Amino acid sequence: MAETLIRTENLSISFGAHKAVNGVSISLEKGLFTTILGPNGAGKTTLFNLISGLLKPTEGKIFFKGTDVTGLSPVERVKMGMGRSFQLTNVFSRLTTYENVRLAMQAHEEVGYKIFTDHRRFKSLNEKTEEILEEVLLKDKKDFLAGELSHGEQRKLELGMVLALEPEVLLLDEPTAGMSIEEVPTMIDILRRTKKKGTTIILIEHKMDMVKTLSDQLIIIVNGAKLVEGDPEEVSRNPEVLKAYLGGGVLNEPTT
Amino acid sequence: MKLLNNMDKKTFLALGVLLVVLSIIPHFSKLSTITLISRIFILAVYGMSYDILRGYTGFINLGHALFFGSGAYIAGIFFTNFGNNLVVFGMAVIVTVVFCSLAAYIMGKIVLRGGGVIAAAMITLALGEIVRNIAERWRSVTMGADGLPFKIPDVFRDRIGFYYYALIFLIIMTVVLRQFILSPTGRVLMAIRENEQRAEFLGYETSKYKLIGLQVAGIASGLAGIMFGILNRFANTDLLSVQQTLNALLITLVGGTGTLYGAIVGSAFVNAVQNYLLNLRSVHPIFERWLLFFGAMYVIVVLFMPEGFVGLWNKYMKERRTKKNTKAIEKGL
Repeated sequence: MAETLIRTENLSISFGAHKAVNGVSISLEKGLFTTILGPNGAGKTTLFNLISGLLKPTEGKIFFKGTDVTGLSPVERVKMGMGRSFQLTNVFSRLTTYENVRLAMQAHEEVGYKIFTDHRRFKSLNEKTEEILEEVLLKDKKDFLAGELSHGEQRKLELGMVLALEPEVLLLDEPTAGMSIEEVPTMIDILRRTKKKGTTIILIEHKMDMVKTLSDQLIIIVNGAKLVEGDPEEVSRNPEVLKAYLGGGVLNEPTT
Repeated sequence: MKLLNNMDKKTFLALGVLLVVLSIIPHFSKLSTITLISRIFILAVYGMSYDILRGYTGFINLGHALFFGSGAYIAGIFFTNFGNNLVVFGMAVIVTVVFCSLAAYIMGKIVLRGGGVIAAAMITLALGEIVRNIAERWRSVTMGADGLPFKIPDVFRDRIGFYYYALIFLIIMTVVLRQFILSPTGRVLMAIRENEQRAEFLGYETSKYKLIGLQVAGIASGLAGIMFGILNRFANTDLLSVQQTLNALLITLVGGTGTLYGAIVGSAFVNAVQNYLLNLRSVHPIFERWLLFFGAMYVIVVLFMPEGFVGLWNKYMKERRTKKNTKAIEKGL
Protein backbone atom coordinates (compact mmCIF):
# COMPACT_ATOMS: atom_id res chain seq x y z
CA MET A 1 0.00 0.00 0.00
CA ALA A 2 1.13 3.49 -0.77
CA GLU A 3 1.86 6.11 1.81
CA THR A 4 -1.14 7.70 3.51
CA LEU A 5 -1.18 11.46 3.04
CA ILE A 6 -4.34 12.55 4.82
CA ARG A 7 -6.14 10.56 7.46
CA THR A 8 -9.15 11.55 9.53
CA GLU A 9 -10.24 9.80 12.66
CA ASN A 10 -13.88 9.88 13.65
CA LEU A 11 -14.13 13.46 12.41
CA SER A 12 -17.32 15.26 13.51
CA ILE A 13 -18.64 18.77 13.69
CA SER A 14 -21.97 19.99 14.99
CA PHE A 15 -23.68 23.28 14.40
CA GLY A 16 -26.08 23.33 17.33
CA ALA A 17 -28.07 20.12 17.16
CA HIS A 18 -27.20 19.55 13.49
CA LYS A 19 -24.32 17.18 12.88
CA ALA A 20 -22.94 18.33 9.54
CA VAL A 21 -20.12 15.82 9.53
CA ASN A 22 -20.60 12.73 11.64
CA GLY A 23 -17.77 10.38 12.53
CA VAL A 24 -15.97 10.33 9.20
CA SER A 25 -12.80 8.24 9.11
CA ILE A 26 -11.07 8.23 5.77
CA SER A 27 -7.52 7.74 4.63
CA LEU A 28 -6.24 9.17 1.39
CA GLU A 29 -3.16 7.80 -0.26
CA LYS A 30 -0.36 9.64 -1.94
CA GLY A 31 -0.61 9.94 -5.70
CA LEU A 32 -4.23 8.86 -5.91
CA PHE A 33 -7.08 10.84 -7.36
CA THR A 34 -9.90 10.61 -4.86
CA THR A 35 -13.34 11.98 -5.46
CA ILE A 36 -15.75 12.72 -2.66
CA LEU A 37 -19.27 12.44 -3.95
CA GLY A 38 -22.55 13.16 -2.32
CA PRO A 39 -25.85 14.91 -2.83
CA ASN A 40 -26.23 18.60 -2.05
CA GLY A 41 -26.00 19.31 1.65
CA ALA A 42 -24.27 16.03 2.43
CA GLY A 43 -21.43 17.81 4.22
CA LYS A 44 -18.74 17.52 1.55
CA THR A 45 -17.65 21.14 1.73
CA THR A 46 -17.82 21.05 5.52
CA LEU A 47 -15.48 18.07 5.45
CA PHE A 48 -13.11 20.09 3.25
CA ASN A 49 -13.34 23.03 5.62
CA LEU A 50 -12.33 20.72 8.45
CA ILE A 51 -9.41 19.23 6.56
CA SER A 52 -8.12 22.61 5.37
CA GLY A 53 -8.53 24.20 8.80
CA LEU A 54 -11.28 26.70 8.12
CA LEU A 55 -13.43 25.00 10.76
CA LYS A 56 -12.36 23.29 13.96
CA PRO A 57 -13.89 19.86 14.55
CA THR A 58 -15.98 19.25 17.66
CA GLU A 59 -14.62 15.72 17.75
CA GLY A 60 -11.99 13.65 16.02
CA LYS A 61 -8.55 14.20 14.55
CA ILE A 62 -6.91 15.03 11.25
CA PHE A 63 -3.48 13.78 10.27
CA PHE A 64 -1.48 15.17 7.38
CA LYS A 65 1.71 13.39 6.37
CA GLY A 66 1.60 11.56 9.67
CA THR A 67 1.41 14.65 11.90
CA ASP A 68 -1.64 15.65 13.86
CA VAL A 69 -2.76 18.95 12.29
CA THR A 70 -6.09 19.25 14.11
CA GLY A 71 -4.92 22.28 16.09
CA LEU A 72 -2.98 23.98 13.30
CA SER A 73 -4.15 27.12 11.48
CA PRO A 74 -4.99 27.10 7.75
CA VAL A 75 -1.78 29.02 7.05
CA GLU A 76 0.35 26.35 8.71
CA ARG A 77 -1.43 23.62 6.77
CA VAL A 78 -0.84 25.47 3.50
CA LYS A 79 2.84 25.71 4.36
CA MET A 80 2.92 21.95 4.94
CA GLY A 81 1.76 21.46 1.36
CA MET A 82 -2.01 21.52 1.41
CA GLY A 83 -3.71 23.65 -1.22
CA ARG A 84 -7.42 24.18 -1.59
CA SER A 85 -9.80 25.88 -3.95
CA PHE A 86 -13.26 27.13 -3.11
CA GLN A 87 -16.66 26.20 -4.43
CA LEU A 88 -17.79 29.79 -4.56
CA THR A 89 -15.28 31.68 -6.59
CA ASN A 90 -12.87 33.27 -4.21
CA VAL A 91 -10.35 35.44 -6.05
CA PHE A 92 -8.96 38.93 -5.53
CA SER A 93 -11.43 40.61 -7.82
CA ARG A 94 -9.94 44.11 -8.00
CA LEU A 95 -6.47 42.80 -8.84
CA THR A 96 -5.44 41.58 -12.27
CA THR A 97 -5.53 37.93 -13.24
CA TYR A 98 -1.76 38.00 -13.45
CA GLU A 99 -1.45 39.52 -9.97
CA ASN A 100 -3.77 36.89 -8.51
CA VAL A 101 -1.52 34.08 -9.68
CA ARG A 102 1.64 36.04 -8.92
CA LEU A 103 0.52 36.48 -5.31
CA ALA A 104 -0.01 32.74 -4.98
CA MET A 105 3.44 32.18 -6.50
CA GLN A 106 4.95 34.73 -4.13
CA ALA A 107 3.45 32.89 -1.18
CA HIS A 108 4.87 29.61 -2.41
CA GLU A 109 8.35 30.98 -3.09
CA GLU A 110 8.45 32.54 0.39
CA VAL A 111 9.74 35.89 -0.73
CA GLY A 112 9.47 37.11 2.85
CA TYR A 113 8.53 40.41 4.34
CA LYS A 114 10.51 42.61 1.95
CA ILE A 115 9.19 46.14 2.07
CA PHE A 116 11.28 48.17 -0.36
CA THR A 117 12.05 45.83 -3.27
CA ASP A 118 9.84 46.21 -6.30
CA HIS A 119 7.67 43.12 -6.68
CA ARG A 120 8.26 43.11 -10.44
CA ARG A 121 11.95 42.44 -9.94
CA PHE A 122 11.56 38.81 -8.94
CA LYS A 123 12.24 37.28 -12.33
CA SER A 124 11.75 33.60 -11.59
CA LEU A 125 8.44 34.46 -9.95
CA ASN A 126 7.22 36.26 -13.05
CA GLU A 127 8.27 33.44 -15.34
CA LYS A 128 6.56 30.81 -13.23
CA THR A 129 3.43 32.94 -13.09
CA GLU A 130 3.37 33.08 -16.88
CA GLU A 131 3.74 29.31 -16.99
CA ILE A 132 0.76 28.78 -14.71
CA LEU A 133 -1.34 31.23 -16.71
CA GLU A 134 -0.52 29.29 -19.83
CA GLU A 135 -1.41 26.04 -18.13
CA VAL A 136 -4.88 27.24 -17.16
CA LEU A 137 -5.38 28.97 -20.54
CA LEU A 138 -5.64 32.50 -19.20
CA LYS A 139 -2.54 34.02 -20.75
CA ASP A 140 -4.44 36.40 -23.01
CA LYS A 141 -6.54 37.61 -20.06
CA LYS A 142 -3.66 38.35 -17.75
CA ASP A 143 -4.18 42.12 -17.63
CA PHE A 144 -7.91 41.89 -16.96
CA LEU A 145 -9.17 42.44 -13.45
CA ALA A 146 -10.15 39.10 -11.97
CA GLY A 147 -13.63 40.49 -11.32
CA GLU A 148 -14.08 41.17 -15.05
CA LEU A 149 -13.50 37.55 -16.04
CA SER A 150 -16.36 35.24 -16.93
CA HIS A 151 -17.43 32.72 -14.34
CA GLY A 152 -15.68 29.86 -16.08
CA GLU A 153 -12.48 31.85 -16.37
CA GLN A 154 -12.63 32.71 -12.69
CA ARG A 155 -12.88 28.98 -11.93
CA LYS A 156 -9.75 28.42 -14.00
CA LEU A 157 -8.01 31.27 -12.24
CA GLU A 158 -8.98 29.80 -8.91
CA LEU A 159 -7.40 26.51 -9.96
CA GLY A 160 -4.33 28.31 -11.28
CA MET A 161 -3.83 29.98 -7.92
CA VAL A 162 -3.82 26.65 -6.10
CA LEU A 163 -1.56 25.09 -8.73
CA ALA A 164 0.92 27.93 -8.19
CA LEU A 165 1.28 26.78 -4.60
CA GLU A 166 2.57 23.45 -5.95
CA PRO A 167 0.85 21.60 -3.14
CA GLU A 168 1.44 17.97 -2.33
CA VAL A 169 -2.25 17.53 -2.00
CA LEU A 170 -4.83 19.52 -3.90
CA LEU A 171 -8.28 19.92 -2.37
CA LEU A 172 -10.67 21.02 -5.11
CA ASP A 173 -14.19 21.99 -4.21
CA GLU A 174 -16.37 21.48 -7.30
CA PRO A 175 -14.00 23.14 -9.78
CA THR A 176 -16.59 22.95 -12.55
CA ALA A 177 -19.48 24.34 -10.52
CA GLY A 178 -21.50 26.74 -12.63
CA MET A 179 -19.25 26.29 -15.66
CA SER A 180 -20.79 26.11 -19.09
CA ILE A 181 -20.77 22.67 -20.69
CA GLU A 182 -18.18 23.63 -23.32
CA GLU A 183 -15.71 24.69 -20.66
CA VAL A 184 -15.86 21.51 -18.60
CA PRO A 185 -13.56 19.41 -20.85
CA THR A 186 -10.73 21.95 -20.65
CA MET A 187 -11.03 21.84 -16.88
CA ILE A 188 -10.87 18.05 -16.88
CA ASP A 189 -7.85 18.29 -19.16
CA ILE A 190 -6.05 20.51 -16.70
CA LEU A 191 -6.89 18.12 -13.89
CA ARG A 192 -5.62 15.16 -15.87
CA ARG A 193 -2.30 16.88 -16.52
CA THR A 194 -1.94 17.83 -12.88
CA LYS A 195 -2.61 14.25 -11.85
CA LYS A 196 0.09 13.05 -14.21
CA LYS A 197 2.61 15.26 -12.46
CA GLY A 198 2.07 13.16 -9.36
CA THR A 199 0.00 15.58 -7.33
CA THR A 200 -2.48 13.95 -5.01
CA ILE A 201 -5.89 15.35 -5.83
CA ILE A 202 -9.02 15.23 -3.76
CA LEU A 203 -12.08 16.46 -5.55
CA ILE A 204 -15.58 17.21 -4.42
CA GLU A 205 -18.36 16.65 -6.93
CA HIS A 206 -21.98 15.83 -7.03
CA LYS A 207 -22.11 14.61 -10.61
CA MET A 208 -20.46 11.25 -11.11
CA ASP A 209 -20.02 11.00 -14.85
CA MET A 210 -17.55 13.83 -14.87
CA VAL A 211 -15.06 12.18 -12.58
CA LYS A 212 -15.57 8.47 -13.11
CA THR A 213 -12.73 8.15 -15.58
CA LEU A 214 -10.35 10.36 -13.63
CA SER A 215 -10.79 8.94 -10.16
CA ASP A 216 -8.87 6.11 -8.62
CA GLN A 217 -11.08 6.05 -5.59
CA LEU A 218 -14.58 7.21 -4.77
CA ILE A 219 -15.93 8.13 -1.37
CA ILE A 220 -19.65 8.64 -1.03
CA ILE A 221 -20.89 10.89 1.72
CA VAL A 222 -24.53 11.11 2.68
CA ASN A 223 -25.96 13.05 5.60
CA GLY A 224 -22.54 13.83 6.98
CA ALA A 225 -21.41 10.24 7.20
CA LYS A 226 -19.36 8.03 4.93
CA LEU A 227 -21.53 5.56 3.05
CA VAL A 228 -19.05 3.60 0.96
CA GLU A 229 -15.62 3.93 -0.52
CA GLY A 230 -13.72 2.07 -3.16
CA ASP A 231 -13.20 1.55 -6.85
CA PRO A 232 -15.30 3.96 -8.98
CA GLU A 233 -16.94 1.22 -11.06
CA GLU A 234 -17.85 -0.83 -8.05
CA VAL A 235 -19.14 2.07 -6.02
CA SER A 236 -21.29 3.43 -8.79
CA ARG A 237 -23.09 0.08 -9.01
CA ASN A 238 -23.59 -0.20 -5.27
CA PRO A 239 -27.36 -0.33 -4.60
CA GLU A 240 -27.08 1.77 -1.44
CA VAL A 241 -25.39 4.53 -3.38
CA LEU A 242 -28.05 4.46 -6.03
CA LYS A 243 -30.71 4.72 -3.36
CA ALA A 244 -29.00 7.69 -1.78
CA TYR A 245 -29.15 9.41 -5.10
CA LEU A 246 -32.93 9.00 -5.31
CA GLY A 247 -33.04 5.88 -7.39
CA GLY A 248 -29.77 6.39 -9.12
CA GLY A 249 -31.03 8.50 -11.98
CA VAL A 250 -28.77 11.38 -11.11
CA LEU A 251 -25.61 9.34 -11.12
CA ASN A 252 -25.70 8.14 -14.68
CA GLU A 253 -27.55 10.98 -16.21
CA PRO A 254 -25.40 12.93 -18.64
CA THR A 255 -24.40 16.36 -17.44
CA THR A 256 -26.67 19.03 -18.70
CA MET B 1 17.37 55.12 -12.83
CA LYS B 2 14.90 52.39 -12.12
CA LEU B 3 12.17 54.75 -11.03
CA LEU B 4 12.27 56.75 -14.23
CA ASN B 5 12.02 53.68 -16.39
CA ASN B 6 8.65 52.89 -14.91
CA MET B 7 7.17 56.21 -15.98
CA ASP B 8 6.32 57.14 -19.49
CA LYS B 9 7.63 60.35 -21.01
CA LYS B 10 4.39 62.30 -20.66
CA THR B 11 4.06 61.65 -16.95
CA PHE B 12 7.69 62.51 -16.46
CA LEU B 13 7.27 65.80 -18.30
CA ALA B 14 4.11 66.70 -16.41
CA LEU B 15 5.79 65.99 -13.08
CA GLY B 16 8.79 68.06 -14.12
CA VAL B 17 6.63 71.05 -15.01
CA LEU B 18 4.70 70.67 -11.76
CA LEU B 19 7.95 70.60 -9.79
CA VAL B 20 9.24 73.75 -11.50
CA VAL B 21 5.95 75.56 -10.85
CA LEU B 22 5.97 74.48 -7.21
CA SER B 23 9.54 75.70 -6.75
CA ILE B 24 8.78 79.11 -8.23
CA ILE B 25 5.49 79.71 -6.42
CA PRO B 26 6.87 80.90 -3.05
CA HIS B 27 8.72 83.77 -4.73
CA PHE B 28 5.49 85.26 -6.03
CA SER B 29 3.10 84.52 -3.18
CA LYS B 30 1.97 85.98 0.07
CA LEU B 31 3.29 84.48 3.28
CA SER B 32 -0.14 83.04 4.07
CA THR B 33 -0.22 81.19 0.74
CA ILE B 34 3.24 79.78 1.33
CA THR B 35 2.17 78.51 4.73
CA LEU B 36 -1.01 77.06 3.25
CA ILE B 37 0.90 75.13 0.59
CA SER B 38 3.45 73.88 3.12
CA ARG B 39 0.51 72.66 5.16
CA ILE B 40 -0.91 70.92 2.10
CA PHE B 41 2.40 69.10 1.53
CA ILE B 42 2.62 67.88 5.10
CA LEU B 43 -1.00 66.81 5.42
CA ALA B 44 -0.66 65.01 2.08
CA VAL B 45 1.91 62.73 3.68
CA TYR B 46 -0.41 62.23 6.63
CA GLY B 47 -3.23 61.38 4.20
CA MET B 48 -1.04 58.93 2.30
CA SER B 49 -0.10 57.17 5.51
CA TYR B 50 -3.80 56.74 6.19
CA ASP B 51 -4.41 55.49 2.68
CA ILE B 52 -1.91 52.67 3.27
CA LEU B 53 -4.33 51.39 5.90
CA ARG B 54 -7.75 52.28 4.56
CA GLY B 55 -7.08 52.13 0.84
CA TYR B 56 -4.56 49.31 0.59
CA THR B 57 -5.15 47.11 3.62
CA GLY B 58 -8.85 47.71 4.15
CA PHE B 59 -8.24 48.50 7.80
CA ILE B 60 -10.10 51.39 9.39
CA ASN B 61 -7.98 53.03 12.03
CA LEU B 62 -9.85 55.62 14.07
CA GLY B 63 -6.84 56.24 16.27
CA HIS B 64 -4.47 57.18 13.48
CA ALA B 65 -4.04 60.72 14.83
CA LEU B 66 -2.15 59.33 17.81
CA PHE B 67 0.91 58.83 15.60
CA PHE B 68 0.56 62.26 14.01
CA GLY B 69 0.05 64.09 17.30
CA SER B 70 2.84 62.14 18.98
CA GLY B 71 5.25 63.28 16.28
CA ALA B 72 4.32 66.91 16.87
CA TYR B 73 4.56 66.51 20.66
CA ILE B 74 7.88 64.67 20.55
CA ALA B 75 9.34 67.47 18.41
CA GLY B 76 7.91 70.10 20.76
CA ILE B 77 9.05 68.42 23.96
CA PHE B 78 12.56 67.81 22.57
CA PHE B 79 13.00 71.37 21.28
CA THR B 80 11.78 72.79 24.59
CA ASN B 81 13.94 70.60 26.82
CA PHE B 82 17.09 69.90 24.84
CA GLY B 83 17.49 73.05 22.78
CA ASN B 84 16.33 74.00 19.34
CA ASN B 85 19.07 72.80 17.00
CA LEU B 86 19.40 70.25 14.22
CA VAL B 87 20.93 67.56 16.43
CA VAL B 88 17.84 67.62 18.62
CA PHE B 89 15.73 67.54 15.46
CA GLY B 90 17.54 64.39 14.38
CA MET B 91 16.94 62.90 17.84
CA ALA B 92 13.26 63.76 17.64
CA VAL B 93 13.01 62.04 14.25
CA ILE B 94 14.65 58.87 15.57
CA VAL B 95 12.54 58.84 18.74
CA THR B 96 9.38 59.39 16.70
CA VAL B 97 10.22 56.50 14.38
CA VAL B 98 10.89 54.21 17.33
CA PHE B 99 7.85 55.41 19.28
CA CYS B 100 5.46 55.12 16.34
CA SER B 101 6.61 51.67 15.30
CA LEU B 102 6.31 50.54 18.92
CA ALA B 103 2.88 52.13 19.34
CA ALA B 104 1.76 50.58 16.05
CA TYR B 105 3.07 47.23 17.21
CA ILE B 106 1.10 47.41 20.46
CA MET B 107 -1.98 48.69 18.68
CA GLY B 108 -1.70 45.90 16.11
CA LYS B 109 -1.26 43.21 18.74
CA ILE B 110 -4.44 44.37 20.47
CA VAL B 111 -6.54 45.05 17.38
CA LEU B 112 -5.50 42.33 14.96
CA ARG B 113 -6.49 39.39 17.12
CA GLY B 114 -9.38 38.57 14.85
CA GLY B 115 -12.83 40.04 15.00
CA GLY B 116 -14.35 42.28 12.39
CA VAL B 117 -13.30 45.56 10.85
CA ILE B 118 -15.80 47.47 12.98
CA ALA B 119 -14.61 45.95 16.25
CA ALA B 120 -11.03 46.81 15.29
CA ALA B 121 -12.05 50.37 14.41
CA MET B 122 -13.71 50.82 17.80
CA ILE B 123 -10.63 49.60 19.66
CA THR B 124 -8.37 51.96 17.71
CA LEU B 125 -10.79 54.78 18.60
CA ALA B 126 -10.40 53.93 22.28
CA LEU B 127 -6.60 53.68 22.04
CA GLY B 128 -6.44 57.07 20.35
CA GLU B 129 -8.54 58.61 23.09
CA ILE B 130 -6.31 57.08 25.78
CA VAL B 131 -3.24 58.74 24.26
CA ARG B 132 -5.08 62.05 23.90
CA ASN B 133 -6.12 61.90 27.54
CA ILE B 134 -2.60 61.15 28.68
CA ALA B 135 -1.37 64.19 26.77
CA GLU B 136 -4.09 66.32 28.36
CA ARG B 137 -3.39 65.19 31.94
CA TRP B 138 0.40 65.16 31.82
CA ARG B 139 0.57 68.91 32.26
CA SER B 140 4.18 69.10 33.43
CA VAL B 141 5.40 67.91 30.03
CA THR B 142 2.67 68.71 27.55
CA MET B 143 1.09 71.83 29.14
CA GLY B 144 -2.22 69.98 28.95
CA ALA B 145 -5.16 71.52 27.13
CA ASP B 146 -3.35 74.85 26.69
CA GLY B 147 -1.09 73.29 24.13
CA LEU B 148 2.65 73.38 23.84
CA PRO B 149 4.26 76.30 22.01
CA PHE B 150 7.93 75.77 21.23
CA LYS B 151 10.94 77.29 19.51
CA ILE B 152 12.24 75.62 16.37
CA PRO B 153 15.74 75.34 14.87
CA ASP B 154 16.83 78.44 12.93
CA VAL B 155 16.99 76.65 9.58
CA PHE B 156 13.26 76.01 9.71
CA ARG B 157 12.35 79.55 10.70
CA ASP B 158 12.31 81.04 7.23
CA ARG B 159 8.86 80.34 5.73
CA ILE B 160 10.13 80.07 2.17
CA GLY B 161 12.95 77.80 3.25
CA PHE B 162 10.57 75.59 5.17
CA TYR B 163 8.29 75.45 2.14
CA TYR B 164 11.10 73.72 0.27
CA TYR B 165 11.79 71.36 3.14
CA ALA B 166 8.12 70.42 3.21
CA LEU B 167 8.15 69.84 -0.55
CA ILE B 168 11.25 67.65 -0.30
CA PHE B 169 9.63 65.78 2.60
CA LEU B 170 6.55 65.14 0.46
CA ILE B 171 8.61 63.90 -2.49
CA ILE B 172 10.73 61.58 -0.36
CA MET B 173 7.72 60.15 1.47
CA THR B 174 5.79 59.66 -1.77
CA VAL B 175 8.68 57.71 -3.28
CA VAL B 176 9.15 55.65 -0.13
CA LEU B 177 5.45 54.83 0.31
CA ARG B 178 5.05 54.09 -3.40
CA GLN B 179 7.95 51.70 -3.14
CA PHE B 180 6.30 50.08 -0.14
CA ILE B 181 3.06 49.60 -2.08
CA LEU B 182 5.02 48.05 -4.95
CA SER B 183 6.92 45.70 -2.65
CA PRO B 184 5.87 42.07 -2.17
CA THR B 185 4.56 43.01 1.26
CA GLY B 186 2.49 45.86 -0.18
CA ARG B 187 0.99 43.48 -2.72
CA VAL B 188 -0.03 41.08 0.04
CA LEU B 189 -1.75 43.97 1.83
CA MET B 190 -3.85 44.52 -1.30
CA ALA B 191 -4.70 40.84 -1.36
CA ILE B 192 -5.81 41.12 2.26
CA ARG B 193 -8.00 44.09 1.37
CA GLU B 194 -9.61 42.09 -1.39
CA ASN B 195 -10.12 38.85 0.47
CA GLU B 196 -8.36 38.08 3.71
CA GLN B 197 -9.50 34.47 3.90
CA ARG B 198 -8.14 33.71 0.44
CA ALA B 199 -4.82 35.31 1.34
CA GLU B 200 -4.61 32.98 4.34
CA PHE B 201 -5.28 30.00 2.13
CA LEU B 202 -2.36 31.02 -0.05
CA GLY B 203 -0.25 30.69 3.09
CA TYR B 204 0.12 34.31 4.17
CA GLU B 205 0.15 35.13 7.88
CA THR B 206 -2.19 38.03 7.29
CA SER B 207 -1.95 39.52 10.79
CA LYS B 208 1.83 39.86 10.44
CA TYR B 209 1.43 41.69 7.15
CA LYS B 210 -1.21 43.97 8.61
CA LEU B 211 1.11 44.71 11.50
CA ILE B 212 3.87 45.76 9.09
CA GLY B 213 1.38 47.94 7.21
CA LEU B 214 0.28 49.57 10.43
CA GLN B 215 3.87 50.26 11.44
CA VAL B 216 4.80 51.81 8.11
CA ALA B 217 1.67 53.96 8.18
CA GLY B 218 2.32 54.91 11.81
CA ILE B 219 5.90 55.99 11.15
CA ALA B 220 4.93 58.03 8.07
CA SER B 221 2.16 59.67 10.06
CA GLY B 222 4.52 60.44 12.95
CA LEU B 223 7.06 62.07 10.63
CA ALA B 224 4.31 64.20 9.12
CA GLY B 225 3.42 65.13 12.70
CA ILE B 226 6.95 66.42 13.34
CA MET B 227 6.79 68.58 10.22
CA PHE B 228 3.34 69.84 11.15
CA GLY B 229 4.56 70.71 14.63
CA ILE B 230 7.50 72.66 13.20
CA LEU B 231 5.22 74.46 10.73
CA ASN B 232 2.91 75.66 13.51
CA ARG B 233 5.60 75.84 16.22
CA PHE B 234 2.85 74.47 18.40
CA ALA B 235 1.37 71.13 19.44
CA ASN B 236 -1.96 70.62 21.17
CA THR B 237 -4.27 67.76 22.00
CA ASP B 238 -6.38 68.47 18.90
CA LEU B 239 -3.61 66.85 16.91
CA LEU B 240 -4.28 63.60 18.78
CA SER B 241 -8.06 63.77 18.56
CA VAL B 242 -10.54 61.81 16.49
CA GLN B 243 -11.14 65.00 14.54
CA GLN B 244 -7.59 64.81 13.29
CA THR B 245 -8.07 61.19 12.25
CA LEU B 246 -11.21 62.20 10.39
CA ASN B 247 -9.19 64.83 8.55
CA ALA B 248 -7.03 62.03 7.14
CA LEU B 249 -10.13 60.06 6.27
CA LEU B 250 -11.63 63.02 4.41
CA ILE B 251 -8.40 63.79 2.59
CA THR B 252 -8.23 60.24 1.24
CA LEU B 253 -11.95 60.21 0.53
CA VAL B 254 -11.88 63.38 -1.56
CA GLY B 255 -8.66 62.45 -3.34
CA GLY B 256 -9.50 58.80 -3.89
CA THR B 257 -8.82 55.83 -1.63
CA GLY B 258 -6.33 53.21 -2.65
CA THR B 259 -4.53 55.51 -5.06
CA LEU B 260 -1.79 56.92 -2.78
CA TYR B 261 -1.49 60.11 -4.90
CA GLY B 262 -5.13 60.77 -4.12
CA ALA B 263 -4.06 61.98 -0.70
CA ILE B 264 -1.97 64.74 -2.30
CA VAL B 265 -4.91 65.96 -4.39
CA GLY B 266 -7.24 65.52 -1.43
CA SER B 267 -5.00 67.48 0.88
CA ALA B 268 -4.75 70.32 -1.63
CA PHE B 269 -8.50 70.43 -2.13
CA VAL B 270 -9.52 70.12 1.52
CA ASN B 271 -7.02 72.68 2.79
CA ALA B 272 -7.69 75.14 -0.03
CA VAL B 273 -11.47 75.00 0.48
CA GLN B 274 -11.10 75.27 4.23
CA ASN B 275 -8.88 78.30 3.80
CA TYR B 276 -11.24 79.89 1.29
CA LEU B 277 -14.27 79.43 3.51
CA LEU B 278 -12.42 80.87 6.49
CA ASN B 279 -11.53 83.97 4.46
CA LEU B 280 -15.18 84.51 3.59
CA ARG B 281 -15.82 85.44 7.21
CA SER B 282 -15.37 89.09 6.33
CA VAL B 283 -18.01 88.82 3.59
CA HIS B 284 -20.78 87.41 5.72
CA PRO B 285 -20.78 86.26 9.35
CA ILE B 286 -22.39 82.94 8.41
CA PHE B 287 -18.97 81.82 7.18
CA GLU B 288 -17.85 81.79 10.81
CA ARG B 289 -19.67 78.47 10.69
CA TRP B 290 -17.57 77.24 7.78
CA LEU B 291 -17.79 73.66 9.02
CA LEU B 292 -21.43 73.75 7.94
CA PHE B 293 -20.45 74.19 4.29
CA PHE B 294 -17.56 71.84 4.66
CA GLY B 295 -19.86 69.08 5.87
CA ALA B 296 -22.25 69.65 2.97
CA MET B 297 -19.33 69.38 0.58
CA TYR B 298 -18.34 66.00 1.96
CA VAL B 299 -21.84 64.68 1.59
CA ILE B 300 -21.79 65.76 -2.05
CA VAL B 301 -18.40 64.17 -2.65
CA VAL B 302 -19.46 60.85 -1.12
CA LEU B 303 -22.74 60.84 -3.04
CA PHE B 304 -21.53 61.83 -6.48
CA MET B 305 -17.84 61.03 -6.49
CA PRO B 306 -17.20 58.03 -4.25
CA GLU B 307 -13.93 57.25 -6.03
CA GLY B 308 -12.52 60.69 -5.35
CA PHE B 309 -10.65 62.89 -7.81
CA VAL B 310 -7.86 60.49 -8.67
CA GLY B 311 -10.26 57.55 -8.85
CA LEU B 312 -12.41 59.50 -11.29
CA TRP B 313 -9.37 60.43 -13.35
CA ASN B 314 -8.17 56.81 -13.52
CA LYS B 315 -11.61 55.72 -14.64
CA TYR B 316 -11.69 58.37 -17.33
CA MET B 317 -8.23 57.38 -18.57
CA LYS B 318 -9.19 53.73 -18.66
CA GLU B 319 -12.32 54.44 -20.67
CA ARG B 320 -10.34 56.51 -23.11
CA ARG B 321 -7.81 53.75 -23.53
CA THR B 322 -10.52 51.17 -24.18
CA LYS B 323 -12.13 53.46 -26.74
CA LYS B 324 -8.80 53.94 -28.46
CA ASN B 325 -8.23 50.21 -28.55
CA THR B 326 -11.65 49.51 -30.03
CA LYS B 327 -11.08 52.17 -32.65
CA ALA B 328 -7.72 50.71 -33.53
CA ILE B 329 -9.25 47.27 -33.89
CA GLU B 330 -12.05 48.63 -36.07
CA LYS B 331 -9.53 50.33 -38.31
CA GLY B 332 -7.46 47.19 -38.50
CA LEU B 333 -10.45 45.20 -39.63
